[in-house]
Amino acid sequence: MFVEESPDWNLDLGGSATCESCNEEPATVHLLRVVNGTVTHTHLCVHCAETVAAQTEGLAVVLAVPSVLWKTPEGKSGDQARAGLLGEQDLRFCSVCGTTLSDVKESGLVGCPHCYKAFSSYLEMVIGQGEQPREHVGKMPRRGSEVDSLKHEIMRLERMLKELVACERFEEAAGVRDRLAELGKRLASDTDL
Amino acid sequence: MIAALTASGITLVRNEAEHRFPHTEDALALEELREEILDVLTGGLWEENWRVLDPDELSEVELEYMVERGLMTPSFAEKGGGARALAIYGEGQASLEINGEDHFRLVAFRPGAQLESLWQLLSRLDDQLEVHFSYAFDPQFGYLTARPSRSGTGMRAYATLHVPALVLTGRLAQTALELVGNGLGLAPLWSGAGGLVQVSNSGTEGRAEEEAIHLMQELAESIVETERSVRKMLLRENTVQVKDHIGRAIGMAQHARTMCFGEAVNLISAIEVGRELGLAQVPGMESESAFELMTKLQPAHIMVEQLGERAGSLDSPEIDEFRAHLMRDKFAGAFVVD
Repeated sequence: MFVEESPDWNLDLGGSATCESCNEEPATVHLLRVVNGTVTHTHLCVHCAETVAAQTEGLAVVLAVPSVLWKTPEGKSGDQARAGLLGEQDLRFCSVCGTTLSDVKESGLVGCPHCYKAFSSYLEMVIGQGEQPREHVGKMPRRGSEVDSLKHEIMRLERMLKELVACERFEEAAGVRDRLAELGKRLASDTDL
Repeated sequence: MIAALTASGITLVRNEAEHRFPHTEDALALEELREEILDVLTGGLWEENWRVLDPDELSEVELEYMVERGLMTPSFAEKGGGARALAIYGEGQASLEINGEDHFRLVAFRPGAQLESLWQLLSRLDDQLEVHFSYAFDPQFGYLTARPSRSGTGMRAYATLHVPALVLTGRLAQTALELVGNGLGLAPLWSGAGGLVQVSNSGTEGRAEEEAIHLMQELAESIVETERSVRKMLLRENTVQVKDHIGRAIGMAQHARTMCFGEAVNLISAIEVGRELGLAQVPGMESESAFELMTKLQPAHIMVEQLGERAGSLDSPEIDEFRAHLMRDKFAGAFVVD
């Protein structure tokens, strides 16, 4: 038997973004308490959650919070990041299925694979990729397109290049840069076809 | 020795690249896709056969039975709409939800520590499906899903843990905070009865499937290790109370005439802790695990496997009476060791 969260949980932008106890820190955890058969839900920061959980006489369970609330970009508070997201132009829509950004924000669902291109900046934020999007990690389709494989490899090498430069391993970085240039040419010729 | 994982579950989501996701796709196109998938399941070369069911034709009890067995997710059971199908692989080793929130969701659930073997099975079935279908995929976002927060690997692993001592002492919250720090979530199974919880990943956390499973197993083992030491501490500091709690649980199990599911799970949990600490002898529990017994005592299991249609509905008092009867049988020879 599987326990799934409520379907609207992951994109619950209407929920509390600041801790309901101290009203200062971003709410990073969801505390579920069962005391004498009564269930209560609160959004709290880690510090307050520890205090409240310790004081609870009964079952206290911490649930993961919407990633949009806890994976906020560095230097921004949860409130600022949320304001940025909500202030984004909601009139954008997907040209394939007609889903609007407002629909996505309201339901947490996108309509088709193309929506990922139409709403990419918003989705990067929601999924928590932040300012430095990285390539997919894990299993990949065996029948995937050549272009997708090239783009994936380019993203991987770009990330590697930044890491090598940061470590001042310039000789290896030059090799990666050359490989990137070569793949870039192949990608350009493949997409021209 | 306590097994770290009481039960394991994995779901794997995929979508066909040329179709919109089910909630925006035309009904006709969705029905054509379903038929195409069913043709592949019934006509392809599979190690086991697929048995296809129409969820709209299943009764409330039959749907609940599928959910209780881990062959269907609760959200698929609740979702209405045409063009859906549920296909069961072999004797229930896995199942495939068709046109739920996504076009494909492979599902597998089993008692015990089985995450790796479940992943291998689902990955194999996934490979075979991919021979016939092109999956929606993006080099950055991974496998594309109707719910972006489930994109990425599309794999979600669930580890069920039995941690009554952590619940009793209020230490579960600290454990959960550590899990959240690792990108995992924790939720109570069966409303928290018996101290059973389920740890799960999100699939978007940027870890490959095997790595996510490995991390989950490591964390689960560490949580269960803490559970063991808390149990020992409780026994050392509150010997009489612990023995009293286990003894009362055996007494209730042996004599109650009606019992709701939550109460049965609480009693089995307490008796199981007693068994594991060497405080109780339970001859009836040698042939099956506590989790398997709990699973059998769920309302739809009792209706489908024991009572048949004569019980009427899932909230019939007859189910509670039969559950108490099964408990009396199971714990007839149980006793607390002095």
